[in-house]
Amino acid sequence: MKQLILTTLILLLMGSNTYGADLLIFSGAGLIKPMEELRINFEQQHQVTVDAHYGSSGEIFSMVAAGQPCDVLIPGAEKYTQDALKNGWVMKETIRKLTLHVPVIAVPKGNPAGVTGLESLTRPGIKVAIGDPNAPAIGRVAKKMLTRANMWEGVAPNIQVMAPTVNQLLIYVALKQVDAAIIWADLTAWAKDKGKVETVAIENRFNMIKTIPTAVCVNGKNPDTARAFNAYIASPQGMTIWQKWGFEPCSD
Amino acid sequence: MQRLNYFRLTCIFLAQFVTVLLVLAIGSLLIVPEFKDVWQNLWSEEMQYSLKLSMVTGLISTGIVMVFALPIGYALSRFEFFGKGFTKTIIDLPVAFPELVLGLCLLLLFGNAFVKTLLESIGLNFVFTKQGVVAAQVFTSLPYASRIMKSTFDYINPRLEFVSRSLGYSMLETFIRVSLPLAKNGILASTVISFARCIGTFGTVLILAGGSYMKTEVLPVTLYLNISYGNMGMALTSGIVLMAVSFIAIYIFEKAEVSL
Repeated sequence: MKQLILTTLILLLMGSNTYGADLLIFSGAGLIKPMEELRINFEQQHQVTVDAHYGSSGEIFSMVAAGQPCDVLIPGAEKYTQDALKNGWVMKETIRKLTLHVPVIAVPKGNPAGVTGLESLTRPGIKVAIGDPNAPAIGRVAKKMLTRANMWEGVAPNIQVMAPTVNQLLIYVALKQVDAAIIWADLTAWAKDKGKVETVAIENRFNMIKTIPTAVCVNGKNPDTARAFNAYIASPQGMTIWQKWGFEPCSD
Repeated sequence: MQRLNYFRLTCIFLAQFVTVLLVLAIGSLLIVPEFKDVWQNLWSEEMQYSLKLSMVTGLISTGIVMVFALPIGYALSRFEFFGKGFTKTIIDLPVAFPELVLGLCLLLLFGNAFVKTLLESIGLNFVFTKQGVVAAQVFTSLPYASRIMKSTFDYINPRLEFVSRSLGYSMLETFIRVSLPLAKNGILASTVISFARCIGTFGTVLILAGGSYMKTEVLPVTLYLNISYGNMGMALTSGIVLMAVSFIAIYIFEKAEVSL
């Protein structure tokens, strides 16, 4: 019995020592598909373990703000990385633009409400979903875009739900609970293949195309591996994976 | 004897180890924020809205839950009927179900075009509405309430009910005049646990009712939204309020001395 307890304790202690990944990345929840593939490829190439935490951009930003250890930060919009830089949480020379983040209007299969562009969302009676303007990056962008186009007043009464997470938006469109939602184009790629949703482009004069940045955090434990990961996801090799999941690489 | 001692020590040690961890975790929720901030946050417009919505929906949901839990608990405890095992399993299922899955199931059901029109004809709409908050809370907490009610009725000696029947009361009269008064501790416990469960429901409410700011925003949604906003003060305040509700519920539950 004594031996058994002792062995268990030793095993527990050893376990806790070896546990804990070499690299911890914080990523926007919308980037989960390509990011998982990149993460696994990187693990195999470099023989390291990488843990990823996915959350809304606001959430991962405040986790870094609260001092949680993080090696690489990849939020859904440039603004968060710029704010992190201002606060001295990321290294300036490691910031790289990865891909374009293009907002589109997602509609259920067959486009029942006949949405043709941003102005359609102001039509009385149409059911619209947007992200909460303070939580996921797409919510902030949607509100800003509509405000700039002088349509916020018209769209606001049509908003059925302001979702705290970006993933809810796609479910609500796919299940026909709303007629339209403003969402990132890349998020709809998978659902579009399955024929559940269609997308309507937002007119160029209104649209606000964002870039997804990556950066190495200053408080990471493994700066060298972190830099390698940061470079890998921005490399041509990494770009093919982003493209595979419907993201457009930045031209510069 | 030696073996038994080690066993005893290990059990006690583990129990106390976990208790210490929990006390530290709960304690840090109280120590981190400043009291003045918490007090101010408590009176902010958002918190007042969310508090009020949580209390109102929580009370309505608890009422509905108890209306169903009493007969369900009684049926499962006293009667034999076709499909009893199946009924019991399905009613208990949400206990082990992740809230998000339950929310998705309810959204698929209540969002279905046919069901939706049917419900709308009697003035109900559960998708993205406050009614949806209630529906989400009811389905999440009903299994807890019916479990407590079943075990409460299990502990009441059926002989007392037989005597009442032989003295001339009908089945319904026996239930109201004999079984219910004997079950009063269980009813109290079941009510407070349902209320606490309703107030704390997050995933189901998020998916079915949307969790929209100042619209279907209940306390756990306030907590989550404010984590996303990076407003830790508000997040911690809603956490403290939720914790207070749970503490009161568990205290009353322990006092009522019923088993789950």
